[in-house]
Amino acid sequence: MFKKKKGFILSLTVASSILLAAGCSSSTGGSDSGKNKGGDKLPAVGATIYKFDDNFMSYVRRAMEAASEGKINLMLNDSQNDQAKQIEQVDTLIAKGAKSLAINLVDPKAAQTIIDKAKAKDIPVIFFNKEPDSSVLQGYEKAYYVGTTSSESGVIQGEMIAKAWEANIEKYDKNGDGKIQYVLLKGEPGHPDAEARTTFAVNTIKEKGIEVEELAMDTAMWDATKATEKMDAWIAKFNEQIEFVIANNDGMALGAIASLEKAGYFSGDKFMPVVGVDAIPEALDMIEKSKMFGTVLNDATNQGKATIDLATNAANGKDVLEGTDWTLDDSRAVRVPYVEVTIDNIQVGKDAYK
Amino acid sequence: MSTQAMKNSKITKWLFDHVIYVFLILLVIGIVIASPDFLSVTNLINILSQSSSRIIIALGIAGILITAGTDLSAGRMVGLAAVVSASLLQAGDYAYKMYPNLPELPFFVPIIIAMVVTGLFGILNGVIVSKFHVPPFIATLGMMISVYGITSIYFDRPPYGAQPIGGLSESFTKFAQRGIPIGDYEIPFLIFYAIIFSVIIWVIWNKTQLGKNMYAIGGNPEAAKVSGVNVAKNIIIIYMIAGLLYGFSGTIEAGRVGSATNNTGNMYELDAIAACVVGGVSLSGGIGTVPGVITGVLIFQIINYGLAFLGVSPYIQFIVKGAIIIVAVAFDMRKHAKKK
Amino acid sequence: MSEARTTNILEMSHLTKRFPGVIALQNVSLKVKAGTVHALMGENGAGKSTLMKCLFGIYTMDEGKILLDGKEVSFANSKQALENGVSMVHQELNQVRQQNVMDNLWLGRYPKKGIFIDEKKMYEDTVAIFNSLDISIDPRSRVSTLSVSEMQMVEIAKAVSYHSKIIVMDEPTSSLTEKEVDHLFKIIRKLQSENVAIIYISHKMEEILKVSDEVTIMRDGQYIATKSAKDLTTEEIIKLMVGRDLSQRFPSKMNQPGDVILKVTDLTAENESSFSNINFELRKGEILGIAGLVGSKRTEVMESLFGMRSLSSGMVELHGKEVHNHSPQHAIKNGFALVTEERRSTGIYPDLSISFNSIIANLVQYKKGIFLSDRKVHDDTKWVIDSMKVKTPSQKTSIGSLSGGNQQKVIIGRWLLTNPEILLLDEPTRGIDVGAKYEIYQLINQLAADGKGIIMISSEMPELLGVTDRILVMSNGRAAGIVDTATTSQEEIMRLAALY
Repeated sequence: MFKKKKGFILSLTVASSILLAAGCSSSTGGSDSGKNKGGDKLPAVGATIYKFDDNFMSYVRRAMEAASEGKINLMLNDSQNDQAKQIEQVDTLIAKGAKSLAINLVDPKAAQTIIDKAKAKDIPVIFFNKEPDSSVLQGYEKAYYVGTTSSESGVIQGEMIAKAWEANIEKYDKNGDGKIQYVLLKGEPGHPDAEARTTFAVNTIKEKGIEVEELAMDTAMWDATKATEKMDAWIAKFNEQIEFVIANNDGMALGAIASLEKAGYFSGDKFMPVVGVDAIPEALDMIEKSKMFGTVLNDATNQGKATIDLATNAANGKDVLEGTDWTLDDSRAVRVPYVEVTIDNIQVGKDAYK
Repeated sequence: MSTQAMKNSKITKWLFDHVIYVFLILLVIGIVIASPDFLSVTNLINILSQSSSRIIIALGIAGILITAGTDLSAGRMVGLAAVVSASLLQAGDYAYKMYPNLPELPFFVPIIIAMVVTGLFGILNGVIVSKFHVPPFIATLGMMISVYGITSIYFDRPPYGAQPIGGLSESFTKFAQRGIPIGDYEIPFLIFYAIIFSVIIWVIWNKTQLGKNMYAIGGNPEAAKVSGVNVAKNIIIIYMIAGLLYGFSGTIEAGRVGSATNNTGNMYELDAIAACVVGGVSLSGGIGTVPGVITGVLIFQIINYGLAFLGVSPYIQFIVKGAIIIVAVAFDMRKHAKKK
Repeated sequence: MSEARTTNILEMSHLTKRFPGVIALQNVSLKVKAGTVHALMGENGAGKSTLMKCLFGIYTMDEGKILLDGKEVSFANSKQALENGVSMVHQELNQVRQQNVMDNLWLGRYPKKGIFIDEKKMYEDTVAIFNSLDISIDPRSRVSTLSVSEMQMVEIAKAVSYHSKIIVMDEPTSSLTEKEVDHLFKIIRKLQSENVAIIYISHKMEEILKVSDEVTIMRDGQYIATKSAKDLTTEEIIKLMVGRDLSQRFPSKMNQPGDVILKVTDLTAENESSFSNINFELRKGEILGIAGLVGSKRTEVMESLFGMRSLSSGMVELHGKEVHNHSPQHAIKNGFALVTEERRSTGIYPDLSISFNSIIANLVQYKKGIFLSDRKVHDDTKWVIDSMKVKTPSQKTSIGSLSGGNQQKVIIGRWLLTNPEILLLDEPTRGIDVGAKYEIYQLINQLAADGKGIIMISSEMPELLGVTDRILVMSNGRAAGIVDTATTSQEEIMRLAALY
């Protein structure tokens, strides 16, 4: 028995030393500095991503890593969708000597706390992708924002729907009443993008003089599986009445398409126009296969690049726009434009992921 | 047994009893070797202040664990308290107030309101567990889900709908974010709150009838009953205290972050339970100390902070944390395993 | 003798307690005088603990009354009894092991100073009680670090702290050393001098004659006699305890022991306070009984053979070849089967069907690919029901709804399905009514006649004498001797059982 005990201790010792070794070894070659060697000499930029496993943000992250190569030592953190964690990461980054911060907020209202921390050490902050309140941004002259105008994605989506409707009214207006009977898959309630896209997409269609009727609207929390479940229910309930499926993002659009396929759509002449936002590769694929009408490209590459451009300049103590083509608007924000993507310009979408 | 063997077995026993401290030391040494500038006052302050609200939550859960219960609703209660207190603490001039006509309250009033609310939910947990004999895992699982619903209803309301509740009054954010300047450094108030609650809880556990009863109920409920302990009442009070602690913790989470949503506090209970377990609290009840719980939280926070400081991939951080929980409990089971 | 010692502090008169199908107590009376030690004796199942459970309100009696100090009482629970000066030092000590001694002593009634516990007073009061009883235990030490005898003393001190007038001690010396027993007796004398009455339950004759003033003997749920200890001898007590006809209660034997199949040499448990140096042989077709008092580690020996406990030394040979049963799986593979003592907690799955309970020890036999063969499961369950004569409406009936005897038959059937060579039975007839016992005896007999080697633990002396071929008597973790059933007597076995 004594022998057994020894063996037990031994195995645990081995296990824990492996863990330590894993920890230490990855610290030398880990995600700390992206891919650049000798990162010590480059200015350090601290960055947090609200959630690493967010599909879209992973493209932004990749663009950031690519853009920072050879220019800065990029310290990337995964905030795991937890604002408290992000704040702690900011503390760590400042303690590690970051010269500027690039922050993808978890909760846009938490910007003030981060600004307070940065301001105390006189470190510039570039928020990206999730926009803080303008007044908060104005409170610190070294705070900037890189992102989009969140209403714009909704507007472009609405314009795309209106255009598609007018071009294909014979085919799309199944009951011939001239109105769009739509169902809408909403992102997380309270998420600024979800709220903006929902409101502006529908309003834009109306502004184009097209009447709409909302058959159903529900949240699928940005999630494809949940979207499939909602869509299953709606098809069961409305079936042929549905004339348009509007989704706040492509993930949910894909979920809806999966459900529609089960119900026999996209084979023969049974068709349903589905639109999303984000232009993720799977969505582009669906557009090419004529299972999806279109999407709105949220330009991950340029958002990532702009963020790093500004952060690099800030870290080097230069004007943030020096040597770039970006412009700041009144609220010290760089607005990377959204782009409509349909089968006609699918290459634009594909290029975004090169 | 030879003296050598006896010595060996003594060392073995000591290692068994203190394995977590040994691990902590190895961990710190490992981090320092990898990055010598880890040893700094700023890092120490950061780790301590980040541990503060976790310690308060963990102390609440630890009491429940000692009664051989558990509380999965802790994180959601933290969220509820965060949302409630934040909604009452928005600055007077903030444009998107949940209660536009509410005057700016003294910051302690909303804290007390939030604590009362979560305290009541704690009592409810205790009643369900002790009076209706629902296993604590199930009772608090149900509570976890329900409280999230309640928080979301409160959160997603006119005039602004499901918006993160920000724009907190300065008096409050100071309470949670600032500190006492000492030399070049500022010791955050958070650390003092953790110390105050730790002392209070230590006194309750060690110096009051409630504390003794708590250990007795967890250690041998039969013995407690036979000795005339009102088991139900004590359990309800323990759950209530936990609720109060979550309430306080939730408000300072809101203050620390500067805003709150219905997702604030999500999954905190699992971190807290893990920290308790690593700190030597027995899931089968009857065992656990305040210093142990604090140590458990600190270990996790040092891992969190230290590995992030080293720039270790977050995915590897998960692996390390998970492994530590399992190893800690494996050792614990060995320690308490009765020789057959 | 002072006057107090002539008044009855406790009078239990004409108690009757019935359980479905069994009369556990029939018109039993017990009168205990203040300041005396009153021994309560009887075989296992004689009704001693039932009587005490009636006193403490754990059972409600059907007839009779209890007078405490001349007033009629009926306690709802042991807490009430405690508050009225009647306490019990349990065989299984009821303490919070993780807490310290004084926390346990004052649990539920801590002295307080404001809202805080007055640790100082608690400590001083504990020390005072300990001093009065000559107990030298640090009140601040953790209960889990105490020895059994120390825990027992804490329990006694707790009883004293409640100002108990009567303290019941259930087998208090079963796990004490001789020195500890002497200390216990000293404490008992001290309590006696303070006019506390002790009800002393034990099997150990020597002790009883030494410590008690009066002895009440029970048998089969009935009151037999109360006598002054001075007038009794060990032989007389045994005669009063046994005194019954053994014929017709056991089937005639038909088994024929053959060659030795199992040889156990020098078996010693890893846990030092368990058993050591056990030697015996088992023959094919033989029924070997294991006798001994509670705490003599009979079950431990059996569980060690079955791979459930760790050994520090010893050898087990099956057909002359050494085997190592490191786990029950090994044991089953080597042809061992164990029917456990605690049928409820470790034997049956009460809510599941007879079918499930029949095949669970041997699932691998029913595998067909990755599934279980329904056909074979059905056939084997049918075999269990038929050959064990289980009375049940169907295979799907949950085993919990059967009588104890029928449950036991299913369990034995379960193990027979593994086709064991060696069948270990731990108290196979506990909690089973007389008629069903006979059937179990028949079954055991039949199995031995079919060539199985059977080892059977029993606390019922007549059962051992009526069923087995030889009996290993254990005493305090050691083998006190092996006797031939045909030539031995209860007296010899009892003497051996109390040897160490």
